[in-house]
Amino acid sequence: MATDSTTWQLRCTVNGRPIEAEVEPDETLLFFLRDKLGLTGTKGSCLEGECGSCTVIVDGRALNSCLVLCPQMQGRRIETIEGLANGDKLHVLQDKFLASGAAQCGYCTPGLIMAAKALLDQNPNPTEQEFFEGMEGNICRCTGYAAICEAIRSAVQQWK
Amino acid sequence: MFLQPRQVAEALEARAKYGAEITPLGGGTDIVVVLNRQSTGPRHFLDLSRLENYAAIRRENGCYVAGGGATFAQLGRLEVKALSQAAMTVGGAAIRNAGTIAGNLGTASPAGDGCVALLAIDADIELSHATRGRRVIPIHEYFTGFRRTALVADELITAVRFPADWRTAWYKIGKRGSINISIVCCAIGMSPRGNVRIAFGCVAPTVMRARQAEAIIAKDGLADASIEAAAQSAMKEVAPIDDHRSSASYRRAMCGVLTRRLLRELRQDAPRAAGRAE
Amino acid sequence: MRNGDSTHQEPQAIKASPPLRTEPLVEPSSTPYKELPKGPVGRSERRIDGPEKVLGTALYGADLFFGKADYFAQVVRSEKAHALIRSIETGDALRMPGVVAVYTAKDMPGTNRQGLIHRDHPVLAEDRVLYRGDGVAIVVAESERAVRRGRDAVKVLYEELPVVADFDDALAEDAPRLHPDGNIMGGKRIRKGDADAALSASDVIVSETFVTQTVDHAFLDIEAGIACWDGHLLTLHVSGQWAHEERRLTALALGLPMEAVRIITPATGGAFGGREDLSMQVYLGMVALKHPGKTIAMRYSREESMRARHKRHAMRIHYTIGAMRDGTLTAAKITVYSNEGAYASTGPAVLRKAASHATGPLRIPNVYVDVYGVYTNNNPTGAMRGFGACQMAIAYNGMMDRLAERLGMDRADLWKQNLIHSGDAVTTGQIIPIATAVECLDAALRQYRAKKQHDRPLAPHERRGWGISVICFGLGYGDGFPDASRATVRLTPAGRLEVYTGGVEYGQGLLNMAGQVAAEELGMPFSLVDVIWADTGRTQESGSSSATRQTYFTGNAVKIAASELREQVLDIASKLLPVHPHELDLHDGKAVGRFNPSLVVPMAKLIEEGRKRGYSLEASGIFKPRTVCEDFDTGQSPRSFITYLFGSHIAQVVVDMETGEVRVERYVACHDVGKAINPQSVAGQMIGGATQGIGMALMEEVVMDGGVMRNANFTDYILPTFRDVPTIETIILENDDPGGPFGARGIGEPPLIAATPAVLSAIGNAIGVAPHTTPCNPQRVWELLYPDDAQTPYAARLTTAPPHALLSK
Repeated sequence: MATDSTTWQLRCTVNGRPIEAEVEPDETLLFFLRDKLGLTGTKGSCLEGECGSCTVIVDGRALNSCLVLCPQMQGRRIETIEGLANGDKLHVLQDKFLASGAAQCGYCTPGLIMAAKALLDQNPNPTEQEFFEGMEGNICRCTGYAAICEAIRSAVQQWK
Repeated sequence: MFLQPRQVAEALEARAKYGAEITPLGGGTDIVVVLNRQSTGPRHFLDLSRLENYAAIRRENGCYVAGGGATFAQLGRLEVKALSQAAMTVGGAAIRNAGTIAGNLGTASPAGDGCVALLAIDADIELSHATRGRRVIPIHEYFTGFRRTALVADELITAVRFPADWRTAWYKIGKRGSINISIVCCAIGMSPRGNVRIAFGCVAPTVMRARQAEAIIAKDGLADASIEAAAQSAMKEVAPIDDHRSSASYRRAMCGVLTRRLLRELRQDAPRAAGRAE
Repeated sequence: MRNGDSTHQEPQAIKASPPLRTEPLVEPSSTPYKELPKGPVGRSERRIDGPEKVLGTALYGADLFFGKADYFAQVVRSEKAHALIRSIETGDALRMPGVVAVYTAKDMPGTNRQGLIHRDHPVLAEDRVLYRGDGVAIVVAESERAVRRGRDAVKVLYEELPVVADFDDALAEDAPRLHPDGNIMGGKRIRKGDADAALSASDVIVSETFVTQTVDHAFLDIEAGIACWDGHLLTLHVSGQWAHEERRLTALALGLPMEAVRIITPATGGAFGGREDLSMQVYLGMVALKHPGKTIAMRYSREESMRARHKRHAMRIHYTIGAMRDGTLTAAKITVYSNEGAYASTGPAVLRKAASHATGPLRIPNVYVDVYGVYTNNNPTGAMRGFGACQMAIAYNGMMDRLAERLGMDRADLWKQNLIHSGDAVTTGQIIPIATAVECLDAALRQYRAKKQHDRPLAPHERRGWGISVICFGLGYGDGFPDASRATVRLTPAGRLEVYTGGVEYGQGLLNMAGQVAAEELGMPFSLVDVIWADTGRTQESGSSSATRQTYFTGNAVKIAASELREQVLDIASKLLPVHPHELDLHDGKAVGRFNPSLVVPMAKLIEEGRKRGYSLEASGIFKPRTVCEDFDTGQSPRSFITYLFGSHIAQVVVDMETGEVRVERYVACHDVGKAINPQSVAGQMIGGATQGIGMALMEEVVMDGGVMRNANFTDYILPTFRDVPTIETIILENDDPGGPFGARGIGEPPLIAATPAVLSAIGNAIGVAPHTTPCNPQRVWELLYPDDAQTPYAARLTTAPPHALLSK
């Protein structure tokens, strides 16, 4: 597909919902999700892939939504933090984050939960090395990592 | 303008037509950082992520041939130690899922971890043009200056070929446990016939090889004395600078330390007879 | 997680006589101060704001834009570190499509001044810029794209002035004057005993110069917010740490009466002192005033956030300490230069904190401290978690390591010999009734030794080492400052308990603290508690969420309010039941007879009855303890701080002796918090603080070069990752504070303060050279190991006068 026009017709799914929208080709997925769709659970922080706050899952893989241009999402399946809970019922990762005190200021939390989900979706029982490889791109500035590790490890036990 | 071709041939045509006007986009992990930082960045993109077979890595005559779209996550699973370790030190999982080897070679940063690893195993870079066809450049001829390469603005990096059977070692010095920009990184490769390549990142305007150090090992093997001589030579060959990440003197010293350390590591791994040049 | 019980010791100084049990209805307790909680206090209740944070529905500043923002604003910031503004050309910007307006200082309606202590910082520069990041103009546009283009199109013509890049530039005789009174912002001194005489009589004297770095708060939630002026009221949704002060400062700068400004703090992703100075409040407010009825949105980029915001003070600390051969400390003589950057910010308070914490929990009879704040053309430096105290902790902990080495003594023994005990005084002369430094150190050592993990074998180029830190910390503002907190509690017709506090929740757990205290006092289930916070339209002033003060201050205010409401509720119950209120207790959402458990009235019924009978079902409390100003000449005060906290950390590291890389292998943190109102939250603060302290010890550093920040992004300003921090073993000691709510003190800052010196001590122990410069990144450790190879040894950079030569007073 090629187009010379200045806008791009984006078709993708977000949390299972089909989306069709006209976007500027140099708009990032982060901006699109937050400021066009109002899905503000995905956070922007460093805007250079160093902190992981903006992590979403695209076709099963974790990506930094701040470094993805919208047209790259053509036909892709995007999952964000808003798609995790089932009505009032928290996703197991959300529940464990809450129980372990893994969310203090909470700003890194959506990105961490999405990174953890991508990791466990691919590998429900990661070794320590695989755990770090999956999670190391996400920075937490206020809670420290102990409670986050505990939350994800206890989610592993209930992973289906 | 945003082009999203499916076939490599289409991509090459677009590149031939628009040249430097259009920016090839792999994972976006370098380019979109620039877009986010400043309001004047590239405006036209050639998205390579939908090209058929562009991300595949295949094995061929004792070599790997990686399409330009192969990601760090894919490279991280190969059994070429230096390259897989280098790939796994790039960013976090989300960056490795997006960043590609062609992107790393295209950006050609002196801190390009993938570039250093490939430099240590005599990789060949395949550059393609819509009408002129392919040309294959040995990696040591590819980097021509600070963020400048042999890639012409109407070409694309289509593949990278590198040996699968070299023994390699890798070390990256950063300021923390992960997601580091290198202060210094070093990759050393040794061919089955005993040829040694010693490559560094962050100690010159481009990634570079310490050729005199290599020559010392080629001549005298991996005895303690020659390893020491190679380390001393490496420190003289590099041209690091002082910047906000580190001092030139530290970087220079680390080139010696890492040369010594990685050559010893290779010697330890080596079958008894190896380690001598033929 | 809590190992406190085994090490709980009754404090020596207040070993009180047995409680007088003349009142049989009062719960007997072990000390007169001890109140035994039965409800949520002491339990790790889930965070009140937790569900919305894990769901992603919590609304932080930038989350408020969607569907609301009419105009976007951005600040044009100075590209020069020191310059006169010749002209600001806005024509090109105004011609950009979508650009609505460009404003400069002359458009500012009020004083155009900000600053927490001195109002010395023009919100928009008038004729001069003092750092690269000073605000110069504001651009307003219809979209974020347009506002960015508009900002880049504003041309500012500067006449550059010589840049004062560092202490030495600032103190040079021909240095340009950055402020009317010169380049010394202020100072602070401590004079106790005769340090010079005691030093000359000492058996051993050790001197060292420590250099600490500039640190960025690096909270992940970048500054962002919205504002609207409806013709009467300016409403600002911007994160801060003290909504009521932000209202005062914003009103002042904009020339509005205070009543015309309302600050509502949105969900806030970390602060660490970095939101104490105003960020964008005045910018947003000004634009809102110019465009009535429009909602104005503004957000910083990461780079702007780092370039604009104040930082932690870099300090140069000359420290001389004397001891007798048996290890008894005799004297300390300390001179500190503190890099204030371009404006005062919280600087005076930081200097004071540094002076009063210059010798930490050490008992030293003769102390001489001079602290100077020096203006430079760097970012202003101000509040950051542990300010002043953390730099000094690096120094006095470092001195103890050096002294132990010189005396050939065990480090822990030397510490114990010189730590203050309950009833001893700290450097300011304040007597500490419950000093538990020794207990903290013992508990940390016990944990470290008892659970010695299986250490991995070392490579030939590696060395292992461990280090100790011991710290104390005076909480609250102190120094006679009128520091108060107010709270209101209210029982709603729906049967819920509402707690109102002006304090800001930025992750530290204020909501749970306040809610758990109120629920405890009123015998309500925690699930029925709502906390309304930091909205100047709905809550009363509770002081800042800083200085480790909210648990102590607002906890007390809530408790006072709740206990008054409790009396109302008991009174209502006594009208329904044939008993005196004293014979009733509130428990589990019911009034229950103390002696006749069959007497039960549920809270819902009490509320209903109370409303019928005209009870307010609402009460307010104010907590305003007194502190005493430190004497100007000597720094002495009988009660400089309201109370003190103690802690001790132990770190174990492995150092690569060739590359200088350091890996923290094991970590023990022990703090005496008085009472952990929410133990999980306390442990969370300990772990988060220790993680930041490890970052400060090993990697974090704002690199300034001639007034230019070289690393205003997260690629180069680096923070600890998952792989940099081991499991942090937390030990919470609980020795009740006599004045704290349920005995609680607080925990915010001490974990960071103790962490950095513990890591440095471990590095020194591993490599045999004690570090003096932070952060100890690989290059610095290598420079310690191979000073001859290093081209920039730290000594070469110290060009000012040697310790104390400037100070013959």
